[in-house]
Amino acid sequence: MTFLQPLLLAALPLIALPVIIHLINQRRYQSVRWGAMMFLLAANRMSRGYARLRQILILIFRTLAIAGLIFAVSRPLASGWLGLTAGGQADTTIILLDRSPSMLEQGAGTGVSKLQAGREQLASTLEMLGSDRWVLVQTTSEGAVEIKSPDSLRKLPSTEAVGTSSDLPAMLEHARDYIQANNAGQTEVWICSDIRENDWNADSGRWQTIRDSFLELPQSVRFHLLAYPTEASSNTSIRVTSVRRFETVDSAELLVSLKVTRDASKNDSITLPVQFEIEGARSELTVAVDGPTLELIDHRIPIERSNDRGWGKVSIPADSNSADNDFYFVFDRPRKRHTLIVSNDPQTAIPLELAASISPDPAVECSAETLSEEQLAAVDWETVSLVLWHAPLPDGKTGKPLTDYIDRGGQVVFLPPRQPGSAEFMKVSWNSWTDEQTPIPVETWRGDQGILANSQSGAALPVGELQVRRFCELTGEVTPLARLRNGKTLFAHLPTTRGGVYFCTTTPDLRDSTLTTNGVVLYVFIQRALAAGAAVLGQTQHLAAGAAAVEQPLDWKQIVGPEDALSTDYAHHNGIYSAGEKLFAVNRVSAEDQSRVLDDDRLAGLFQGLSFNRVDDQAGSFEGLIQEVWRMFLVAMLIALIVEAALCMPRQIPKVEDTGFPRRQSDKEADSTTDRTTAITQSATNTI
Amino acid sequence: MSVNRQPRSFLDTRVLSRLAGIPFLARQPMQGSVSGRHASPHRGSSVEFAEYRKYVPGDDLRRLDWRAYGRSDRFYVKEFEADTNLRCCFVVDTSGSMDFGSGDVTKLQYAKRLVGALGYMATQQGDAVGLSCVAEGVVQSLPPKRGPSHLRTMFDLLEQAEPKGETELVTVLHELAETIRQRALIIVLSDLFVEPALLKECFQHLRFRKHDVSVFHLLDPQEIGFEFKRPTRFLDMEGGTAIFAEPNDIADRYHKAMQIYLEDLRQVVLESAIDFHQVKLDEDYEHVLSRFLVGRTSGKR
Repeated sequence: MTFLQPLLLAALPLIALPVIIHLINQRRYQSVRWGAMMFLLAANRMSRGYARLRQILILIFRTLAIAGLIFAVSRPLASGWLGLTAGGQADTTIILLDRSPSMLEQGAGTGVSKLQAGREQLASTLEMLGSDRWVLVQTTSEGAVEIKSPDSLRKLPSTEAVGTSSDLPAMLEHARDYIQANNAGQTEVWICSDIRENDWNADSGRWQTIRDSFLELPQSVRFHLLAYPTEASSNTSIRVTSVRRFETVDSAELLVSLKVTRDASKNDSITLPVQFEIEGARSELTVAVDGPTLELIDHRIPIERSNDRGWGKVSIPADSNSADNDFYFVFDRPRKRHTLIVSNDPQTAIPLELAASISPDPAVECSAETLSEEQLAAVDWETVSLVLWHAPLPDGKTGKPLTDYIDRGGQVVFLPPRQPGSAEFMKVSWNSWTDEQTPIPVETWRGDQGILANSQSGAALPVGELQVRRFCELTGEVTPLARLRNGKTLFAHLPTTRGGVYFCTTTPDLRDSTLTTNGVVLYVFIQRALAAGAAVLGQTQHLAAGAAAVEQPLDWKQIVGPEDALSTDYAHHNGIYSAGEKLFAVNRVSAEDQSRVLDDDRLAGLFQGLSFNRVDDQAGSFEGLIQEVWRMFLVAMLIALIVEAALCMPRQIPKVEDTGFPRRQSDKEADSTTDRTTAITQSATNTI
Repeated sequence: MSVNRQPRSFLDTRVLSRLAGIPFLARQPMQGSVSGRHASPHRGSSVEFAEYRKYVPGDDLRRLDWRAYGRSDRFYVKEFEADTNLRCCFVVDTSGSMDFGSGDVTKLQYAKRLVGALGYMATQQGDAVGLSCVAEGVVQSLPPKRGPSHLRTMFDLLEQAEPKGETELVTVLHELAETIRQRALIIVLSDLFVEPALLKECFQHLRFRKHDVSVFHLLDPQEIGFEFKRPTRFLDMEGGTAIFAEPNDIADRYHKAMQIYLEDLRQVVLESAIDFHQVKLDEDYEHVLSRFLVGRTSGKR
């Protein structure tokens, strides 16, 4: 039970008062000499069960009445937040607010989103509970920010929804850092979230560290989760998967591919009007959605031939979640994809050059040039979409332009040179070559995502058909994308902030592997890296909200997007932004479209060992999280008193004198005679 | 008659004077020793005609009704009612429980007032009065006799009577039924804290001996109401075990037990045809007496 005045509960021992009074009363008996013992003995012999039960019930109800009074004055709260404020008002209250797009889901028939409901509930609840300090950590914040009062949750722009997924582990880390830095006292951490898997990253190894660090804190920290786990059943989302500008002889058109996603359980057929908006010009297409998803490939939208670069938007009618009904895109004239091959080995360079220079799309021009390390100084890096580095790993002067290139989003694939050397690049280095007597096939590779992912039709790349005779092992922390049967890495990815850095531990040389003879894998690998590089380094970019923050949003100007968004938060809000000649389309992260709710056991496991409680709410719920229920206890006390009074009331047994023997007529006559006699005697006495 | 030489606590001359106008009669023929105001089972020579009877040899010829002979040519003897005195035996319960009284008087004191008044009235009209004080047996006994000096003796005895011991009323009543000569008036004054079934046998025994039985059942208002506020330890006035009870708890069962007892007693009274009077101590004893006396004048039951 939760109380606003828990100190008054110290009076609870008073509930024993009726029992004590009863016992004292028992000792303060009187002694009476009594004649009619036969009735007392008979009464004693009669059933005492009811009398004893009545006595016990009377004591119980008296006790309940006192308990009701004490509970009432202790101001109890009714809610699922068990142990909410036991111990008094918190010193610091930290609010973790999930602002991810899924929080804009509305409750059925209410028009109130989860985010609105959560903010309102938190504001009203925390105002009631009180605290010395209020701290807000929200999806896009880089740290904890103190706020004036819980009412700020209703007003602050930084509590509105964004297109970014939340990173709950990071938010908790911010909270922990704040507690440590400010030496906060008793701390309450309130989390408002719809507990989506992509927001909580339950598989992340950070959780263990977070749990341990909170357990080590000297302060008392308690976690309260206000969860909105209900998923809207009627939500439909739209996402543009690709946009290409295509030119014909006398006109130009956009080829827009998009994907419509519904609830996986929906198998009925619906017609959905999809609205396209290109630079303000609107058109509409009605599509029939027969299952949970619909993919529309290369829908043609005519545009002015002179319109080389621009932006657009696709929309579907409003539904239960307004955050996934629009998708922004930008387009540009296809840009020449130039590949730079750094190699001194023609046997390797030639297959690479071929794979890089043959374009998969006639509208896209591809080119490749082979250079030695010494020639790199003259390279115009702005024109390069991909670097294939078949030379000792760069360091010092040679490494600097390459590092800058990667930081801008460039793609680099490293292949082992004949003399690997001991150079190290981004903490990764080559070891020595290993020769195998018999070719080793590839055993496993990541086909679900990444550069070796399956094709759009779902067919797997023939990576398993590759044979490797010689390979050069890697040293450093990389993410393997494909492994040989002997467990050695064939393809690996090095995580970076923006760019793509890949390692291939063999070469297309016929002496090393069958990458050349089985050219599909090599070609797809290079073309995908090339496309990614071209997309990043072009004049138009599609960015996922949040990931765009590494750009410089302060230089951005909003073309289309939410009007109330702060300029510092542009990178987190869906919309079209410009920075000089560049155009940026920022959209929600793809994980938001298919995110599932974290199951209860896993969620509880994340807070294992910590003081944690949870209450589920619904968007549009008008009931407060906590309510003072002292009236209920007062009513209970009154009821207890009434019942006690009823039990104390003597049973209606006819009085003994009423059941006496019937009076005879002669008795009545005698009474009247006596009265007459008395009157005469009185009269005679008076006369005398 | 000068019986009031010394003041008696149980006698109130004003009450006696007020009741003097009401005769103290028996409900059935009494067998006295001298002429009196009560009907006798024998035929006598009073003025009240009783019946004609056929003459049988040996009858006194002076009692032949010649007029009847003249009309019917048969011999008839004219008989008259005989009037005699009554023998009134008071049986007073002097057990410990008779000492109880929540008001000014105890049950025994109340009984003494009733006995004193009735004894005085009986003596006044020439009847014989006797007294038996009963507790664990017959404590004091005075056979019925006439005369003021005997009354004084009875009053002395009455005054000395003290409540003490257990009640053996049933045994004593059976004993008195046998020892007292037939056709007497027996007045029992007791709280009757005895099983009604046992009392029934006593009353029937007395009735079998052709006694006129009257009972004054004396109860204190507190014994009926049982109104106590605090937990109470009840000490048996007749020396039994003490009982500790919470009056609020036990009151309803006490009332129930008393109700059952009174109902049984009522049944006994109806079946035994005795003159029963339930008396609460807060009642004026003058009213009780007048009711008793008037009932006897009109109720030839």
